[in-house]
Amino acid sequence: MKLRVPVFLFALLFAGIASAATVGQPAPDFELPDETGVKHSLSQYRGKIVVLEWVNPECPFVQRHYKAKTMEKTWAASDKEKVVWLAIDSTHHNTPEKSAAWKREQGFAYPVLQDPSGEVGKRYGAKTTPHMYVIDEKGVLRYAGAIDDDPRGNKEKPTNYVQAALASLLAGGEVKEKTSTPYGCTVKYKE
Amino acid sequence: MRRFPLAIALLATLSHAPVAQAQSSARGALDEGVHRVQADLLLDAEEVRPGERFRAGVRFRMHEGWHVYWRHPGESGLGTELVFSGAAFGPVAWPFPQTFRTGGGFIRTYGYEGEVLLFAEGRAPDAPGEHVVEARADVLVCEVDCIPADFALRLPLRVGEARRPSEAAPLFDAAQATVPARIEGLEVAAEARFEAEGIRGRLRLPAGWRAEGEDAFVPDASPGFEALRGEIRDGAIAIEGKPAVEASEPPRVRGVARLVAPDGALHHAEIDAPVIAANEPPVAATEAQGPSLALVLLLALGGGALLNLMPCVFPVLAVKVYGFTRLAAESRRGLFAHAAAYAAGVVGSLLALAGAVIALRAAGTGVGWGFQFQHPIYVAAVAAVVVAFALNLFGVFRVDVSAGRLVERVDARQGLGRSVGEGVLAVVLATPCSAPLLGTALGFAFAAPAWVTALVFLALGVGLAAPFCLLVLVPGLVERLPRPGPWMERCKEILGFALLATAVWLVWVMGGLGGVDAMARLLAFLVAVALACWLFGLAQSAARRRWLGRAAALGVLLAAVPFLPTSTRSAPPNATTKAWSEDAVAAALAEGRPVFVDFTADWCLTCKFNERTVLASRRVQEAFAARDVEFLVADWTRRDEAIRRKLAAHGKAGVPLYLLYAPGRREPQVLPELLTEGLVIDALSSLPKRETKKEPST
Repeated sequence: MKLRVPVFLFALLFAGIASAATVGQPAPDFELPDETGVKHSLSQYRGKIVVLEWVNPECPFVQRHYKAKTMEKTWAASDKEKVVWLAIDSTHHNTPEKSAAWKREQGFAYPVLQDPSGEVGKRYGAKTTPHMYVIDEKGVLRYAGAIDDDPRGNKEKPTNYVQAALASLLAGGEVKEKTSTPYGCTVKYKE
Repeated sequence: MRRFPLAIALLATLSHAPVAQAQSSARGALDEGVHRVQADLLLDAEEVRPGERFRAGVRFRMHEGWHVYWRHPGESGLGTELVFSGAAFGPVAWPFPQTFRTGGGFIRTYGYEGEVLLFAEGRAPDAPGEHVVEARADVLVCEVDCIPADFALRLPLRVGEARRPSEAAPLFDAAQATVPARIEGLEVAAEARFEAEGIRGRLRLPAGWRAEGEDAFVPDASPGFEALRGEIRDGAIAIEGKPAVEASEPPRVRGVARLVAPDGALHHAEIDAPVIAANEPPVAATEAQGPSLALVLLLALGGGALLNLMPCVFPVLAVKVYGFTRLAAESRRGLFAHAAAYAAGVVGSLLALAGAVIALRAAGTGVGWGFQFQHPIYVAAVAAVVVAFALNLFGVFRVDVSAGRLVERVDARQGLGRSVGEGVLAVVLATPCSAPLLGTALGFAFAAPAWVTALVFLALGVGLAAPFCLLVLVPGLVERLPRPGPWMERCKEILGFALLATAVWLVWVMGGLGGVDAMARLLAFLVAVALACWLFGLAQSAARRRWLGRAAALGVLLAAVPFLPTSTRSAPPNATTKAWSEDAVAAALAEGRPVFVDFTADWCLTCKFNERTVLASRRVQEAFAARDVEFLVADWTRRDEAIRRKLAAHGKAGVPLYLLYAPGRREPQVLPELLTEGLVIDALSSLPKRETKKEPST
């Protein structure tokens, strides 16, 4: 018995702020189908760096970054051999067809994992689109937060946190900015 | 499915203020041909005098179901940005925000639905004439979808000879009513515990204050937190947070709260509360989530049993052994009764102690295990009892009048009373010895809720009483005991010397508390106690006028009371050792030197044992010197709040505690409570080697 009896009731009040994935801890494993039905699990990419990107094509923030090709450029700036990029859509009304159409339209290569139940999103504590997670070769979460420091999209030279995290990990170093406040649209979870 | 918003620039006159219109612009906010948010710039006066105060605000009107965000958006969204110019403006005033829950409560955001006026107070320009007030607003308006929008708004301001309030003035007054402010005398602290998955606790409001209604607390961006939430329960504010991975400053809970004061008045308060954590954040990812309650109780039970063998309880144990060899002659029922009485004495006094601890803690006094020995009166009282017991064992006076006129029945009752008394004494003397064995369990108990504290103390008591009861209750064991005989008298007298040795230790403790004077006063008091005992004994053996001897004994005791040392001295006990402080640690680390901190107290035998046998040993001293370790002493002989907090931060309620800091490492290494030379030397050798500066060779 853990000594959490007195706070247990409190814990019930707060559904899931603290239970989310924590930087420095092993990232929660998952298995999700992509837009073509192929299954991807986090554990199958052990040995590679994995980037998780929460997406929703309807979100203006996601649209802004896809117009600027932020994600594609960030991935290309790292090492595509060593870095796996997975987009995850936890929008409750999303369908694989919509994801496939969007992927064709935008012309990117990485899979869009389907999480309409929101289960994986909630396990990670994904709050916004985009919301980014970087996981190292050993499966430990190394970065969680925004793609960059420019929520309003009006900075001359925004700092891309994910790019910096990937560069540090590929160089065998510590990630400097381990967390940031994610910005964007609220993930449209099932109510 | 919604169509995507068009990021088109449109020029529109959005001002509805009854003053001259100015050109304004809005971008975004148009979705399916509908303005999801409209903004207009308002002033609370059409004309103001030079240098006069006035208010300028932007009124946001949202389409039904849509909202804009507060300064801190919460877990998603984007905070509203608003800048006024054209006059000297103060900070933006934010009326109390609403809480929005989406995803079944998974995501919380804070903002405004319907209509809101965000405003700032300005000082009018000194030059009379026509001026222009400008406002730039950058908002995200959301329902299910979100649409970014920005506004650039302008409005003329006339600076003239009189103040003419505008029609919008009442809107400002209404908005002002819920703008949170710092409230004089409202001291709020966040009491929290770090747990494996976050920080949980509550905001401690002053007595009589309570939170009003649902969502009466809205967290702001708070230092040291990655995420933070509040929840109202019965007028109290529960908080839960996720600590930042790397905190550069101590965590604070910031936000706004809707509160009712003791006088019934409603307040909107800005909250900026320090976090008072009952423990330190878990350091390593591998660290366990803290011992389970069952394990802690087991520890307390085992620790209690082992206490029987500790040096400061052993004399009492010896007394008990003597006591129960005497009992061997009694019937089995009598044995049961004695065992029960002894157990009741132990458990009862530990529970009383638990009650006192709980009460004191509730009263806001920081109390640590062993705290009793920081009070001179307490030390003197224990010393007096010990001396009296010793004299009793020497046969100076009798407590149990076994022979003579008393009948067997009464004797039995007195024997039981003695058993209870022995139980109590065992507890009293066990206190300073408990730290090494029970540190974890007690540290846990002090940081835990009251019922857990009580439970841990109960387990402790059962453990302490168990060996005695077991010996008494297991039939074989009792029969194997030696027969009563004259050897018992000798044994008893030897035990008396053991008690006197305990008294010597108590006198030494008093010396630590109050110096030589206090020691002398205590010794004088003890002599008076001995005299009183002797007089009492005389009265017992006298044939007549026993009351005279007893009165004399009482008189001597009362006369000796003024000798009791009462106050502790203020000078540090030992000027040759460097005293601990967080600054001293930081200073040494800044010089690149490792730091060893010895948390100790004179009344802590384990501490003294460690210091004399391990820390003072030549090998350990050499190891310290080789690494240029800064040795700091945190002396807890007398109460010290800073030390208590540091101990609590390491989950401990008592000494000893040994911390080894290495330059460049954030967290100190915690050494075990029972040190060995090898252990300390190993810990020191794990430190990074200090680079010795060499003179350049010529």
